[in-house]
Amino acid sequence: METIIVTGAGSGIGFALTERLLAENFRVSAWDTTEGALQNIQNDALTFHSLDVRDYNGMVDAVADAASGAQNIAGVATCAAIYRATPFLELTLKDWEEHFSINLKGTLFTCQAVLPRLLEQGSGSIVMFSSSIARRGALNSSAYAATKGGILGLMRALALDHARAGIRANAISPGIADTPMPRQVMSETDLFDRGEDIPLGRIGTPIDMVEAAMFLLSKDASFVTGQDIRVNGGAGLF
Amino acid sequence: MDHGKQNILVTGGGSGIARASAKRMAQSMHVLVADKNADGATQTVQEIEAEGGSATAITVDVSDPVSVKEMCKQITRDFGEIHKAFFAAGIFIRGVVGEISEEDWDNMMAVHVRGTFLCCQAVLPAMQKARRGAIVNMSSDFAVMAVPAAAAYTAAKAAIYSLTKTLALEFAPYGIRINALGPGPIDTPILKSGRTTEEWRDALKSFGENLPIGRVGKPEEVAAVLDFLLSDRSSYMTGQIIHPNGGQLMW
Repeated sequence: METIIVTGAGSGIGFALTERLLAENFRVSAWDTTEGALQNIQNDALTFHSLDVRDYNGMVDAVADAASGAQNIAGVATCAAIYRATPFLELTLKDWEEHFSINLKGTLFTCQAVLPRLLEQGSGSIVMFSSSIARRGALNSSAYAATKGGILGLMRALALDHARAGIRANAISPGIADTPMPRQVMSETDLFDRGEDIPLGRIGTPIDMVEAAMFLLSKDASFVTGQDIRVNGGAGLF
Repeated sequence: MDHGKQNILVTGGGSGIARASAKRMAQSMHVLVADKNADGATQTVQEIEAEGGSATAITVDVSDPVSVKEMCKQITRDFGEIHKAFFAAGIFIRGVVGEISEEDWDNMMAVHVRGTFLCCQAVLPAMQKARRGAIVNMSSDFAVMAVPAAAAYTAAKAAIYSLTKTLALEFAPYGIRINALGPGPIDTPILKSGRTTEEWRDALKSFGENLPIGRVGKPEEVAAVLDFLLSDRSSYMTGQIIHPNGGQLMW
């Protein structure tokens, strides 16, 4: 049984991915600041770590725990992120830095904590969650957009640095999806109405993103590295 | 003939990535292996049957509208609905722009661009009626990145990617998904073309060394991505290109 580390595992896409991985007989080292929906899961293959992705030492310990008993870590999926809508001119340094420390530096530190183990194994798949907002922007989302754009750069650099060592790194850029995040800025009705503007006629689901993540984590993607998989229903084709 | 499986049409299925793809898809579907080269298509079918799958060889010239229509008519008559398709028929002609003949240019565009267009146009009406279907068109890293001495090929592959995106928009309302594959260097006859076995061994090594991942890809590794793009695993993806390219292009 192989282990996958999932950050942001307590809700949204991270939670859905954790559920799927458990269903497909992976061990999951699930990290989040709060246990959230994970507390309802009874499964010996699930280990929850109460962790903030700004806590590098905590993550190093969690990796050591996940790898104990020579356990193979097959990959890591970085889903942890925050999103707060703020008009550009009202964006404070505190807001900006909080987005960066969690979304981008958090992703960097997660990878830094896990990579030594993956390099030791000579294999591993890293999946980072970016967003369609990285390329398309969104109203009042400059801090979030900047962090998600940063993730694409980080992903490519990491992919290049470690390709020869058998490590693959890719990103997924979801379009708007049925997760807690957009609900911070729009009503339930508005959220689902957004589907009318999307070519495939609906907003995304966590499962849509989970499928892409499972693909990137699997050997089906053995020659795929440095790529951004855009799971967006065909919205904004360019 | 009712074989109890869904049908997939694979053009260019007589060799390379498309052959590996036909074999992969044959794990769950009946494969219509179409190729201009009848022997290649037959060989693929034999390999599929040897692995316990079912397939049928069809001879087609994808650049010829009559041949494409005839192919689809024959498939529909003998096997029913075409549920999925991988349009991968392709050729490669090397040459710097000053040396590309008009004939070579036209050939390149005929097989890749007109061929993809004609094939999509032939299978889409029935998919539209059925309100389901998935198509993957074979593009390339070279749709996006430049490479010397391959202007006709890069232009053709860019056209296929562009066509794919427009088709995706036009047919999304019918629940039909259309995506593209953009492979990097893969160990295939098309990449080998014009090289002796010894030259090819050296070329494979140097191609591999120039890739971040350090090796050339296998056709089966592209087929695995195709499988993802044609399956319900990618049901929320359309108009996209995925690059199984060992990191050659990060885009």
